[in-house]
Amino acid sequence: MTSIGTGYDLSNSVFSPDGRNFQVEYATKAVENGGTAIGIRCKDGVVLAVEKIITSKLLKPGTNKRIATVDKHVGVVSSGLVPDGRHFVSRARDEASSWRRFIKGPIHTSVLASRLGSYVQMYTLYSSVRPFGVTTIIGGWDSEDELPVDGEVGSGPKVGAGGRDESLRSGGPGLYMIEPSGLYWGYYGAATGKGRQAAKGELEKLNLQNGTLSLLDGVKEAARIIYVAHDDSKDKDFELEMTWISGKDGPTKGRHEEVPAKLREEAEKAAKKALEPDDEEDDAARGDRMEE
Amino acid sequence: MDHLKKGEVNLGTTIIAINFKDGVILGADSRTTTGAYIANRVTDKLTQVHDTIWCCRSGSAADTQAVADIVQYNLEQYGVEYDMPPTTQTAAAMFQELCYHNKDRLSAGIIIAGYDPRHGGQVYSIPLGGSLHKQSYAIGGSGSTYIYGYCHANWREGMTEEEGINFVKGALQEAIKWDGSSGGVIRMVVLTAKGAVRHVYLPDNGYTGPGTK
Amino acid sequence: MPGFDFSNHARNAALHAQGFPLPKATSTGTTIVGCIFDGGVVIAADTRATSGPIVADKNCEKLHYISPQIWCAGAGTAADTEFTTALISSQLELHALSTGRKPRVVTCMTMLKQHLFQHQGHIGAYLVVAGVDPTGVALFTVHAHGSTDKLPYVTMGSGSLAAMSVFETLWKPNMNREEAVKLAAEAIQAGIFNDLGSGSNVDVCVITKEKTTLMRNYIRPNERERKQKSYVFSRGTTAVLREKVIERVDIGKYVTVHEVPLEAEGEQMEVDT
Repeated sequence: MTSIGTGYDLSNSVFSPDGRNFQVEYATKAVENGGTAIGIRCKDGVVLAVEKIITSKLLKPGTNKRIATVDKHVGVVSSGLVPDGRHFVSRARDEASSWRRFIKGPIHTSVLASRLGSYVQMYTLYSSVRPFGVTTIIGGWDSEDELPVDGEVGSGPKVGAGGRDESLRSGGPGLYMIEPSGLYWGYYGAATGKGRQAAKGELEKLNLQNGTLSLLDGVKEAARIIYVAHDDSKDKDFELEMTWISGKDGPTKGRHEEVPAKLREEAEKAAKKALEPDDEEDDAARGDRMEE
Repeated sequence: MDHLKKGEVNLGTTIIAINFKDGVILGADSRTTTGAYIANRVTDKLTQVHDTIWCCRSGSAADTQAVADIVQYNLEQYGVEYDMPPTTQTAAAMFQELCYHNKDRLSAGIIIAGYDPRHGGQVYSIPLGGSLHKQSYAIGGSGSTYIYGYCHANWREGMTEEEGINFVKGALQEAIKWDGSSGGVIRMVVLTAKGAVRHVYLPDNGYTGPGTK
Repeated sequence: MPGFDFSNHARNAALHAQGFPLPKATSTGTTIVGCIFDGGVVIAADTRATSGPIVADKNCEKLHYISPQIWCAGAGTAADTEFTTALISSQLELHALSTGRKPRVVTCMTMLKQHLFQHQGHIGAYLVVAGVDPTGVALFTVHAHGSTDKLPYVTMGSGSLAAMSVFETLWKPNMNREEAVKLAAEAIQAGIFNDLGSGSNVDVCVITKEKTTLMRNYIRPNERERKQKSYVFSRGTTAVLREKVIERVDIGKYVTVHEVPLEAEGEQMEVDT
């Protein structure tokens, strides 16, 4: 690397002459070694999935979760240094609860992403700190209809709300990804970690911008993509961790929850099947083939 | 209000906000008193805190003005920071936060009413203790005690604008008639998709006009 | 340390518990008014300052400068109106300097109400705020607890009832300068003559877009006349009962006199020539 020995990579608050912050670039390197994490924004919800590399056989399967719930309706998954991810989640929870304290309702996913983006960016400005060694994917569902104010007495009148325009919709699924530089964008599908290139390729094939993929199909695709992305590092064992958030009429009723074990196992089965297309196709074809 | 500070300006008041077919209507009398003296006979107790979020103030004039000023400031900040207008719920939450946490120091009874196309018209009431109630219509102030029966008997869901205005006017006229601390002109604000429209009705002609200024 | 000292409160409470009456804060009986006219605003005040039943000052000034085109009339505790207006005047000048714009009347009113609200009515300042700024003509009242009103004509102080009766009878919309000044002065005189707390002269301040005119003692309806009779006692009015003369030489019997040398130790006061 050209930066080695120049000294411009030693501190956060120092730019290199060509305008780079090497500390941030090194942090990105840390992310590139993490387990693949993805998020898919479906028409009726969001799926988050992560490839959790098993570092020891002594760890109990299904524990040490990597996807966190920040508020009822928001989930966060990160790739990179796990403790950095934990701190990030802690900050996200603080932001969500301080919003609740003041506004008495759930934080908008976009606002949370903006606040956390600013927070991460702060760690690129000072020589006394290092940038976050994680890229984080935030998935949330903003309520599509009116929510009661936290702490209001009773449930309000059943009548009223005159002049409401029923055709207007707002809220819905939200998906954001924040990089160690603090840069963040909203995505239809987001991927980070070791297998991100493969995962991005798969996500692009889903044509998520059409807004036609259902949450249930999204879960299947998420599982498959994690398995596809894992292909490159087959030597390591991994666990698939998946969460989802749907609207009030969907399976999670607007909450961020773990995908039920049964559905996850189904999706994993399908994913494994999809990875061995030759055998499968042969098997299936054999039955149908007309024998002469 | 028996716990006003000595010499404090009081909004011995009748205030009201209702839901109707196209949005909400806020109404209030215009009397402000210091003891037995009317300090202002044409007071405006309907205060704008955002484009189509307004409130009716009752209790101490100083306290309710201070609270409304703070909420107005915070809602403006909200609109700019998040690039979307605050909802009526957000405004109600801000009012409640201030009224509940400073309940020992405030004498403020506030009704919040707002309109936005997605949620329609909404009415929230925050009485003295700082609790928050969502209502289809709300009344408040010293004069409101005289019109509970009137309002209960006459309010209907989905009134037209004209019916709504007549209902609010009728209620306030009764309150002004029976409550010594309420009087002066009747002020109203109609909040719909068309925005905020002010009305005023004078006692000189039996509260028949001039209507929208 | 800036701020108030409330330590006397405990003492007063203790004294009160023993049956002593609580001390009363000095509140000036006053009449102040304000009135908008076409092209400007006029404020006026009486000039009596009282301390209980005593007239403390027969010709005090109750019209306070805030900025060249914003003036305040003050009622309530004299010291509070004086210091509050001085404080806000100072802050508003700094504000005008930092923004590079002329100060606005609403800004002044907002600063006053926030300051007074913070002190929860303990600052007994009741003010009429008037002025002309780039947004136009403005007239407000500010009460000690921090509430404000915006009206075309206003009165405050113990004489406000008398003054308001004049406004309610004679006020009409779109008055010119002369009419407004006359009306404001008339309202103050109603306070001077009908309210015990108000008296002496009428001060008037007229603010227009072009200039501000302070008319000190615009009307002096209580000029002190020459006494109609002489009350000087003529010589010999008091009878001499006994007479004793002490000669200069005998004065030593009554007082001791020491000569102090001028060049005594210690410093002498120096006087510049």
